[in-house]
This record gives sequence, C-alpha cells and structure tokens, in this order.
Amino acid sequence: MSDHLDRIKAAVIGGRHGEIKALVQQALEAGADPSTLINDALIAAMDVVGTDFGAGRIFVPEMLVSAVTMKAGLDVVKPRLAAGESRSRGTVVMATVKGDLHDIGKNLVSMMLEGAGFKVMDLGVDLSVEKLVDQVRTIQPDILGLSALLTTTMPEMQKVIGELQRQGLRDRVKVLVGGAPVDPGFAEKIGADGYGANAAEAVALARRIVDAKG
Amino acid sequence: MKSNSRNLVMAAMFGGRRGGRPAVGNPTSIACHGLMERAKVSFPEAHLNARAMAELALAGHEEVGFDTVMPEYSVVQEAAALGAQVDWGDRDKMPDVKEFPNADFSDIVVPPDFLEKPSCRVVLDALSILRRHVGGRVAIIGKVMGPWTMSYHMAGTQNFLLAVGMGESDKVTKMLRQLMPVTVAFINAQFAAGADIVVLADHATRNLVGPYHYQEYLLPIHQEITAQVGGPLILHVCGNCSDRLELFAESGVDAYHFEWQVDAREAVRRIGDRVSLAGNINNPQVLLQGRPEDVHHQARYAIAAGVHLIGPECAIPLSTPIENLKAIVAAAREGW
Ligand code: B12
Repeated sequence: MSDHLDRIKAAVIGGRHGEIKALVQQALEAGADPSTLINDALIAAMDVVGTDFGAGRIFVPEMLVSAVTMKAGLDVVKPRLAAGESRSRGTVVMATVKGDLHDIGKNLVSMMLEGAGFKVMDLGVDLSVEKLVDQVRTIQPDILGLSALLTTTMPEMQKVIGELQRQGLRDRVKVLVGGAPVDPGFAEKIGADGYGANAAEAVALARRIVDAKG
Repeated sequence: MKSNSRNLVMAAMFGGRRGGRPAVGNPTSIACHGLMERAKVSFPEAHLNARAMAELALAGHEEVGFDTVMPEYSVVQEAAALGAQVDWGDRDKMPDVKEFPNADFSDIVVPPDFLEKPSCRVVLDALSILRRHVGGRVAIIGKVMGPWTMSYHMAGTQNFLLAVGMGESDKVTKMLRQLMPVTVAFINAQFAAGADIVVLADHATRNLVGPYHYQEYLLPIHQEITAQVGGPLILHVCGNCSDRLELFAESGVDAYHFEWQVDAREAVRRIGDRVSLAGNINNPQVLLQGRPEDVHHQARYAIAAGVHLIGPECAIPLSTPIENLKAIVAAAREGW
C-alpha cells in the first residue's frame, strides 16, 4: 500500500497533474484508506513542496502546479470519505486586505488548507475592514486568515482586529496573519493569534487552533 | 555597449573618464508625497497628463538633486494601451490592472496606433518636455515593460505562472513573442522622444520564478530586444536575483538595476566588468523607515563597492521622506 502512497506523493511533488486522478483511483481500488491517502500522500507531498519552495529549490510555477495536482487528487478521494471523516476540520475565511491585490500566496494557503480538510471561504483581494468584519459575523469561521504583501497595507490587519474587538467578535474567531513583509513580532504587536511564514506553517497553525478547541 | 554610431561617439567623447563624483539616478520611480507637494501635482494626474508627469520628474532633479529625471511612475502604461482595464489609483495608491484581457491566452492584438494611445503618448510627450527643459544637463530616463511583466498584466500573474509551471511552453512563448514588438517599439519611440537611457523592467524575479525559467523563456527574448534597439538600456528586475546575475549580463543590456538583497560587492565582482550596476539602497527598511544616516551609510557602501549609479533599489514607497532621498545625493557629493 505504501507503494501507492509513495507514487501519489511523488506525482504531487513533481506536479504530474495528468496522472494524479488515475493514481488515486488505483490506490482506492487497492483498498487504501481515504483519510490516510489524504494525510500521508497528498498533504505530506505539499509539506515537501512547501519546504522546497522555502529553500529556493522550486519556485511559484512549480508550487502552483503541485497545488493544482493535489486538488485534483483530493477531488477523487473526497466522495469516498466516510460521513464522519468528510466533516470539515473547521471553517477558514481567507482574504487579502484593503489596498492590496497580491493573492498568489494567499491562494496557495487557501488550497493547502482545503487539502488539509478545512472548509475555506476565499473572499479575494482588496477587502475593506467593514466587509471583513461583516463576513466574520455572517460566516462565523473558526479562523480568519489575512494576507498583506505591502508595508502600506499591513496596518489594515491591525484595523481588522480592532474592529472585531469593537464589535464583540474577537473572542469568536482566531486571526492568522501572513505575507512577505509580516513577521512574528508584528503579528504579536497587533494582537493576532498566529503568524505563518508559508502555506505549510499556515496549515500547522490552523490544525493546532482547531485541535485546541476540541 | 552596442556599437552603434551614437554609443561609439559618446564613449569616445568621455574616453572612460568617470567625473568628479558618483552619479545619483532613479531607473524606477522616486515619486512620493513630498515631491508631489513640491511639484504641485499628484496621482493620478501625473500618470495621465504629460505636463504633470514631467513636472513631477523634474522635481526629482530640482528639489532633491538627482542627476536623472524619469517620468513614468506606473507599470501599466503599456497594458492600458493594449486594452487592459486599469484603475489609475490616487495620491496614496499606484495604478493596478483590474481585468486581464488575455486570461485565456487568446492572441494579443497590438493596435497599429499603439504608441498614440493616451497612456503611451503621455510618456513620450513628457520625455520631450523634459528634453526641452533639461536636455544635455540632466540624464533623461525612459521606462518600458518587458514581455514577461506585460504577460502578468495581460493574463494575470498567477494564471501566467501556472502556464509556465504546467510546461505549456507554446502558450507562454506565443504570448511573450506577441508582446515583444510592443517593448521594442516603445523603447525606440522613447529614445526618439528624448530619452538618453531606457529602463527595461521585466519582473522575472526570484520571488516568483527560477533562473532556469529566465534562461529558457526570457533570455532569448531579451537578447532579441537588445539587438533591435538603439541606446543604452538598464535592466530592472527586483527581488533577490543573486542566482541569475550572470544570465542578466548575457542579455545585452548596458546596466542592471538591483536590490539591496543582492550584495553590491558581489554584484560588482561577478558582472561589473560586463554591465554597469545601478541601485541598490534598500526601500522598506532604510529609505522608508530609516534615518538619513542609515541611507548615507548604504549609499557609501554601494559607492565603495563600485556601484556605478547610486539610487533606490526599486520604485520607492509613496510615503518615503524626502530627507532620505536627499541623503543619497549628499553621500554622492562627498565624491569617490
Ligand atoms: C507578484 C508580485 C506582484 C503582482 C501581484 C500578482 C498577484 N495576483 O498576486 C503585481 C504585478 C500585480 C504586483 C503589483 C504591485 N506590487 Co508587487 N510584488 C510581487 C512579488 C514579485 C511576488 C509576491 C508573490 O506572489 N510571492 C510568492 C508568494 C507565494 O509568496 P507570499 O505572497 O509571500 O506568500 C507566502 C507567505 O507569505 C505565506 N502567506 C501569505 N499570505 C498569508 C496569509 C496567512 C494567514 C498565512 C498564515 C500565511 C500567508 O504563505 C505564502 C505561501 O508560502 C513581490 C516580491 C516579494 N518580495 O514578495 C512584489 C512586492 C510585494 N510588490 C511590491 C510593490 C511595491 C507592488 C506595487 C505597488 C508595484 C507598483 N509600483 O505598481 C503593486 C501594488 C499592487 C497592489 N495594490 O497590491 C513590493 C512591496 C514593497 C513593500 N514591502 O511594501 C514587493 C515586495 C516588490 C519590491 N521588492 O518592491 N506585484
């Protein structure tokens, strides 16, 4: 069985998007457990991809293709999950803040979270404080993930947290922040619940938050 | 250096002499709120009106003391002329492309009157105005996007990079090839309008793509572009590009404009014998948030390292204090 998993993992790492569906299908037919397949092959592969990207061994094009490959595999497995297993691990609202149009990093984080079993609502880019707070009220996510790539838009994150507080919503949602200019010090200063340097860290953080909730 | 008549004569005129002090220049925008106030023009006007554009560029020389004037502040003038929907922003926000006309990688149709579209015409007119005001005294720099950056705007960055990752090289190359004539025509028109130097900005940066992507897709195109145009060219690719400096030096440009993330000494050592180096004072930490002493320190480091044209590493943040820009000039006036 680990043979099947290894092949799937290699296909995701190598971005072989044309092969992935057949490989996953074969693994399932051979009796692979769907959730093992997700965790030990698809997501495990993206952890490797994230590490390679962080180390500068691969670049955005390869990472995007691996993410697309992972999603294609996921689409095959999902219907096979038992009712209990297919329940989402939690809901995440993702967005790039007001004035900022950079979304490649945020999209990768969204895809990885989805792969890890979260229900992700990606609101897109250039989201005003009001809109974000409204959406948190309506969707009631477990986690709000904010992305900013400009030093000029980083302060928007603080405004969002401030407004959540003012409207009494801060205790109901964990706020994660990320994007190239953001660092752990900034995250702490603005009162965020976590900072992730890359998509793999984002997933680990989200898991920790949801597990802590029980 | 391309051995055309003009370049040969200019080289003969100066005979390799370097003058009394290092030059301060801005291959990319130094527009900031302080300069807008002094020039009494603002965004978006300075993207759209030739006189306002030229006034703001002039302020960089007259108010701050830069040795260059560069009138193009956005990166979307060409994309707008090619039909991309552009939001021209405001005083606090640079323009952006709102909708990508070729997200499906459909053929890019270059309008025959491309250079006469308002967003291109305005740059050409601003260069001519600058020529009349400071020609022969101050170096006039034009700026043109290369096919890679234009592809981000025409297809959407993520979409374009996904096609690269998928290995759809036919699609990618077709788009680059269809955009290449735009770059060549706009560069030549900017020289004809009065530019002494033109910046070729093409963001194949390490933050996005690998050196092998540059080598496979873009280097051959850059070599064709540089073969087809006249005067001196500065290549601008921001980010940490230490892993591809030699490839840039093979592109046929005369200079490379680089970021602080690339060590100046290393850049000079590795490619300084083949291309001039321009830059590389850090924007976010030093020019924006640092003190004039910090700027001075980096400028002197770059001068000592042998960087040829001292200036910011990239388009500066709009809230950069003028005092920090002046500190670059002060450092250069101390001489070699
Ligand atoms: C691609 C790019 C663009 C593209 C964006 C396309 C798109 N759809 O996203 C375009 C060409 C449109 C663009 C425009 C501009 N850009 Co730009 N751009 C970049 C570039 C080269 C790469 C960004 C990127 O995608 N990186 C790859 C991804 C995978 O990395 P990432 O975003 O960091 O995401 C990872 C992590 O940060 C993390 N993460 C991200 N979000 C989140 C969220 C959470 C919750 C968590 C946990 C983690 C997390 O995980 C991700 C995956 O590993 C950077 C250079 C750089 N150093 O980053 C400049 C850069 C960000 N841009 C910059 C600038 C100045 C601009 C412009 C103002 C340029 C101009 N003069 O017009 C405009 C602004 C437009 C706007 N209003 O937003 C500057 C910002 C300077 C600053 N610090 O303020 C940079 C740093 C370039 C530079 N050196 O000057 N840009």
